Amino acid sequence: MKTFPLQIGTPDGLLFSGEVERVVCRTITGELAILAGHINYCTAIGMGQAHIILPDGSRRNAACIGGMLSMMHGSCSLLATTWEWEEDIDRERAEAAKTRAQEKLNQTQIDEQEYKIFRAKLQRALVRLSVNDH
Amino acid sequence: MAANMKAVKLRIKSVQNTMQITRAMELVASSKLRKAKERADNCRPYFQDLHKTLETIATGNTDFSSIFARKPVSDKWCYVVIAGDRGLAGGYNSNLLKRLEKEAEGKDYVVLPIGKKAVEYFRRRQVPILTESYAEVAQVAVGECFEISSLLCREFKSGKYGHISLVYTRFLSMLSQQPDFIHALPLTDLDQGREDKEPIRDLILYEPDSVEVFNAIVPEYLAGLIYGAVCESSVSELAARRMAMEAATDNAQEMIEKLNLNYNRARQASITQEITEIVAGSEGV
Repeated sequence: MKTFPLQIGTPDGLLFSGEVERVVCRTITGELAILAGHINYCTAIGMGQAHIILPDGSRRNAACIGGMLSMMHGSCSLLATTWEWEEDIDRERAEAAKTRAQEKLNQTQIDEQEYKIFRAKLQRALVRLSVNDH
Repeated sequence: MAANMKAVKLRIKSVQNTMQITRAMELVASSKLRKAKERADNCRPYFQDLHKTLETIATGNTDFSSIFARKPVSDKWCYVVIAGDRGLAGGYNSNLLKRLEKEAEGKDYVVLPIGKKAVEYFRRRQVPILTESYAEVAQVAVGECFEISSLLCREFKSGKYGHISLVYTRFLSMLSQQPDFIHALPLTDLDQGREDKEPIRDLILYEPDSVEVFNAIVPEYLAGLIYGAVCESSVSELAARRMAMEAATDNAQEMIEKLNLNYNRARQASITQEITEIVAGSEGV
């Protein structure tokens, strides 16, 4: 299958740069797969599982949270706020974050700001765990 | 003569003490520098890619329905100024602020200072400050950058200012750092300087639509830019401090050598004088 150059960058570094067959991630409107030869395209990334298919057909899973995906002139750049490969996810930490966030959300005396923060934390933990479960 | 000797001796002592301090500061700066450089190196590709991608989008953009992509509504500028927390870093802070002065001349502007030195400076000059909650640049991590960016975007949307620019110090090498400017918002500012030729407008498909995409992307883009600039600035600050302290240590060394020479000369002179006195005295007997 045809491949295209993909770059995955986060504030913590350039995590991937090379040819891929396909990249799949969740955008703000739903799941999206990009194949070679896509027209110029730009969208915002939501929270969810993502994976890329390398030219040899192997698949790498990751947790992807926030950021943007743009396809310009045949090359794709995925600039995520967080992108963690399946093997890099710290399961214990995610579990701990999940329970901590749930406890906080169960309390009644938190204000709206705090509620938003902890809900986002819970969501992030759940995304990480779901990728790790895969 | 004896008094002179004592004065020189005291001076040598004091210079030595100063040298000890500058040397310690140099060592601290270089050990911190290594860590900061790693962070900046990691962040740089993201920072550059982000800016390049948005630049491409800005040049190609034909859809101005989002407020972030539209021509600015107000002539007021907002500068995010990233300086250091402490002095003794050579010209690091003053170069940056001078660069800002030059750029902002004659413009109506507010600032969001990051770093104690910037806060102090703007307070003294009585420039309107957006917020002082990020006074310590050392404490600004990714999370804070997102807070800053959402604050900036909220104010931008409310029309408080029409442009956002970043003023930071770019790390060129261990020996040279340069104050630099980035136009961040609106996106029409990004393709400035290339207006000489009509750019080829690429059509881009936005999903679901450009307004929503920009609303989601722009705060993240701004946060990424700020984080990148903070990383660059902090590594620049440390490099500048290391250099300044190295120079100070060298100067102290040189000064001590000179003072030692003076001291020896004074000692020699006093001995000669004593001998002369003794000889003159014995002749008199």
